Amino acid sequence: MKLPISIAINGQTRSLEIDTRLTLVALVREELGLTGTHVGCTTGNCGACTVLLDGDTVKSCCVLAADVDGQEITTIEAFSTGASTLHPIQQAFADNQGLQCGFCTPGMVLSTHYLLGQNPSPTEADIRHGISGNLCRCTGYQMIVDSVLDAAQRARESAPSASGAAE
Amino acid sequence: MISSELAFYAPATLAEALEQLAAAEYGATILAGGMSLVPTMNLGLARPETVISLNRIDELAYIEEDADTIRIGAMTRHRDLIGHPIVQAHCPSVAAAASVIGDVQIRNRGTIGGSVAHADPAGDYLPVLAAAGATAVVRSATSERRIGAREFVVDIMRTALEPGELLTELELPKLPADGGSAFVRLARVEGAFAIVNAAAVTSGGSATIAVGGATASPAVAEVAGDASLEEAGDAVYEATEDAFGDLSGSAEYRREMARVYARRALAEARDAAANGGGAQ
Ligand SMILES: Cc1cc2nc3c(=O)[nH]c(=O)nc-3n(C[C@H](O)[C@H](O)[C@H](O)COP(=O)(O)OP(=O)(O)OC[C@H]3O[C@@H](n4cnc5c(N)ncnc54)[C@H](O)[C@@H]3O)c2cc1C
Ligand code: FES
Ligand code: FES
Repeated sequence: MKLPISIAINGQTRSLEIDTRLTLVALVREELGLTGTHVGCTTGNCGACTVLLDGDTVKSCCVLAADVDGQEITTIEAFSTGASTLHPIQQAFADNQGLQCGFCTPGMVLSTHYLLGQNPSPTEADIRHGISGNLCRCTGYQMIVDSVLDAAQRARESAPSASGAAE
Repeated sequence: MISSELAFYAPATLAEALEQLAAAEYGATILAGGMSLVPTMNLGLARPETVISLNRIDELAYIEEDADTIRIGAMTRHRDLIGHPIVQAHCPSVAAAASVIGDVQIRNRGTIGGSVAHADPAGDYLPVLAAAGATAVVRSATSERRIGAREFVVDIMRTALEPGELLTELELPKLPADGGSAFVRLARVEGAFAIVNAAAVTSGGSATIAVGGATASPAVAEVAGDASLEEAGDAVYEATEDAFGDLSGSAEYRREMARVYARRALAEARDAAANGGGAQ
């Protein structure tokens, strides 16, 4: 069955006619060509397919595309347009070697963004809890935890302080 | 891509959903958070021809209280139960269970109704609801039924729901002022399903303990208020005679762990009662 839906993808409104069998990750990758979102398992375990749905992280392999009509989707492509414009979270991952093959990285960056939105000063334990839905086969996680700690610090330093005086 | 053709409906009201469910000639599959259903569709294990999504039905997502009960709408997502003031004050074990389900992304999307209807033997709400003596509210286009949580799960991943019926609400009695409750679980790593999970509620002169993960539906034992932890553990052990084994543990291992976690849950529930309310 075909179904018309309208979504906001990375800030752009798109109206599409989709096959009801598509999952959200298939919509993003195959229909919209945004291949930064990865597919590791299709069973909700690995988190490589993590996107923001109305601002909340979800595993897009477990969401039907037909079910997101009228909603906002944010993928890794919204974070930067290329190597020279890395988002501070991405820069922190690069500087701390928070990736090796990079397969898990888009999902890790989205989960980090969501975690820091909820908790700007996470402890190491908070970080491990916050990224427990994202599996990494390469790094052993320590460098990812370091990257998230660094990303949090960068975000705090660049945010205006409570008194409004800082840059 | 999911292989079979799919008719998809996303009604905005419960009444419409019930009508569509009644009208579906060969039955329809209900979609809540999709965290259990969509993986099985991706794997080709479930091949629904018609899916009715409840995700647009705002009237099914709520947490409300009456004088003696709290009522949770089926589409309430796991993360909305964590730290909710009504849940925390009157049924804190529901929040404790919600907070350990899967991971952040699963909790952002999965629902309590979907979890209970899925009836995974290791589901984390099931022992909590069984120990609390909760009630499932079930509706079809023409009827409404109330089913005790202990009768709702009839076998592994099978419930008392009839064709055309939806689980709409879970109703839990509030913990009495002198009561306490607790939820504890054994799992390999964070985010993994429990090997066993246990909930206990103490109130007045008795205590109820329910242990999931070992049997098709939670094993329930009631003991006197002054029963020793050993007696309570033994009562649960007896109640898990039909335990099953799998890759994460043999039947006998699960029974022993059911005994251990029953004791721990009861000890924590008593502590919570002594500290003036169900801390967990
Ligand atoms: C990686 C991963 C880890 C997980 N870890 C845990 C865990 O540790 N503990 C735990 O308890 N759970 C865990 N889960 C399962 C999770 O809790 C799911 O959210 C839950 O089992 C299903 O809820 P849902 O809302 O996603 O339902 P869905 O997947 O949409 O539906 C599940 C089933 O219930 C039926 N259904 C849904 N809602 C209704 C309704 N209102 N009336 C009638 N039928 C209905 C559907 O038709 C389907 O058969 C995990 C899942 C994943 C993917
Ligand atoms: S591809 Fe979605 S969780 Fe693995
Ligand atoms: S960097 Fe390879 S999976 Fe994480």
